[in-house]
Amino acid sequence: MPLVLAAVLPLPAQALTLFACEPEWAALGQILAPQADITSATHAYQDPHYIEARPSLIARLRRTDLAICSGAALEAGWLPALQQRAANPVVQPGREGMLFVAEQVETINQMDQVPFGAGDVHPEGNPHLHLDPERLRQAGAAMSQRLAQVDPERAAQYRSHYLRWSIRWQQRLDDWHQRAQPLRGQMIVVQHSTFDYFWRWLGIEVIADLEPKPGVPPTPGHLADLVTRLDGQRPLAIVHSWYQNPQSARWLSERTGIPVLALPSTMAPDDGVVTPEQLFDHLLDRLLAQHDAR
Amino acid sequence: MTKTSLRWFIPLAFLASTQAQAELQAPDISLTLDAYHKSDSTALGGRVEGWGLSHTELGISQQFGSFARGKFTAVAESNKEETDFSIEEAYLQSLALPAGLTVRGGRFLADIGYLNGQHPHADSFTERPLLYRAFLGGHYYDDGLGLSMVMPTDLYWRISAEAFKGDELGEFEADPTIGTWALSTTVGGDLSATQSWQAGFSYLRNRMLAEGEEEHGHDHADEHAGHSHGAEYTGKHLYLADLVWKWAPKGNNRDQQLTLSAEYARVNDLNEYASGDDYHEGWYGSAVYRFAPQWSAGVRHGRVDLKLGHGDHFHDGALEETVAMLAWSPSHSQTVRVQYSHQDAVEDWHGTFAGADNAVTLQYIISFGAHDAHTF
Repeated sequence: MPLVLAAVLPLPAQALTLFACEPEWAALGQILAPQADITSATHAYQDPHYIEARPSLIARLRRTDLAICSGAALEAGWLPALQQRAANPVVQPGREGMLFVAEQVETINQMDQVPFGAGDVHPEGNPHLHLDPERLRQAGAAMSQRLAQVDPERAAQYRSHYLRWSIRWQQRLDDWHQRAQPLRGQMIVVQHSTFDYFWRWLGIEVIADLEPKPGVPPTPGHLADLVTRLDGQRPLAIVHSWYQNPQSARWLSERTGIPVLALPSTMAPDDGVVTPEQLFDHLLDRLLAQHDAR
Repeated sequence: MTKTSLRWFIPLAFLASTQAQAELQAPDISLTLDAYHKSDSTALGGRVEGWGLSHTELGISQQFGSFARGKFTAVAESNKEETDFSIEEAYLQSLALPAGLTVRGGRFLADIGYLNGQHPHADSFTERPLLYRAFLGGHYYDDGLGLSMVMPTDLYWRISAEAFKGDELGEFEADPTIGTWALSTTVGGDLSATQSWQAGFSYLRNRMLAEGEEEHGHDHADEHAGHSHGAEYTGKHLYLADLVWKWAPKGNNRDQQLTLSAEYARVNDLNEYASGDDYHEGWYGSAVYRFAPQWSAGVRHGRVDLKLGHGDHFHDGALEETVAMLAWSPSHSQTVRVQYSHQDAVEDWHGTFAGADNAVTLQYIISFGAHDAHTF
């Protein structure tokens, strides 16, 4: 009985609880609201399109003050199930406690209509917008503003944390632009549209995708096609993200001689990629090393 | 870089005008077709032999702002014996109650057991386990009212209470206002980054059995091979226990996932002649392994031990079923499955399980539109 009472009684006022659908929003949360209790529902080794609506995530969302997700249907396969089961009014769609970043920051590749059989594409556009450092800053602005609404007492703090980070971020942007010069105009082979924003920002051209259609795993027929199509081309690398099975990329690499590059598509604190700055440093380091090795 | 100093203010100013608004969205409409061919009919319901459509559903769901959600599901089934339409879901569910509370009213799937709340097209096998077919008519939905509460604990803990009219559980003589009611609780969590689990316990009280009424299992024995709409083996009290464990390498269930699940059911107080030793019992255990993003394979073994009513006494009956399946999902919206089922009438009486047979089922599921996100 004491256990039941403890569970039912309202909890004393405490730190804001944040639920980040993806690690990038947890990392931004650490910068904007360092005192908050923040967890990420997913990690860099998980495909964010395919997450199980697990009991632990329901329990977590139940106690959340603000949920931050990419949106643009990235979490369509699992977040609605969590929202319906968590019975937490503040994180329902349209409420202040539910922030979809893609509703605040413009996405690329929006479509008016998705034809049947087009693969896993969504009219809302590409949801992986955190890999554009400019858009990540806009996301930071959106988050700081939403934090201020949800937790008005600390509104000034969230705003000043954002402004301070934003100034630092600007310095890093200038720095990264300088360093990335040699990568401009390079070509790349990808597996899924995960890094599309990043390539656009760097001026790198995507010349082939291992997926025959977005979200559909590589097929032997499509890979064989790519061997012919890539003949005579010299892309920088075949890039896949850490959560993807490297088999297809390796197969293509063996037949074309193009090196494979596995990159994290988000922060991976256990691997030393904790902050947004570290993520972009890491990505640039890896690409530049690849470039220099040629 | 002269504009630099302005640029980082712009997002804040820009955002002030684009607040998230709650608006009434268009309803989500989905259609799921489940076409099959089964080589032979098997005992205790399930799919009928030959070509057919099983559990083909049209679903409409509508979110009403952030306050409530409505769901309507019409189901059609067609095989060589009959064509049948039913409304399985028509409910409103609250989204904005405090303290982890949810109220649901209308017609909905009872929140009992592991599989009962799931839509059959999300199942890993072509037919529900024996215990579901014997004690719940495959899946139990009804008109009623439900209240559930998710506790604010680190461990997932949910309790729910529901009351139903009872008309959909089967054909009974009695007609109380509250025909059935149910209590259930579920707990679950993560064991590590790669393993998660869930366990549940449910109780269903059946008040539809009038005092002095005989169980009609015996008289209807010849119907057992066909399609069934209600529970065939009932009692006043149904207890269900379920356990699920899932594993995925690095917690990434996109490429590979192993799911083990098991349920146990006991039905007590079968009729006025039943003593404490006269109860129905059933269980199953299943293992499903998705070994590649588009491929999964699974086996399931289950058994029911039934008391077949005969006047003032019972005869023992026991039926076992083992199934193996292979499924290919070329895309999110399509699945082709082939399943082999083997049934064994361990203990029969008067041909109750005369329909026990081996069967090969080929199943094709295709869905259009946005259907509900799948649960754990």
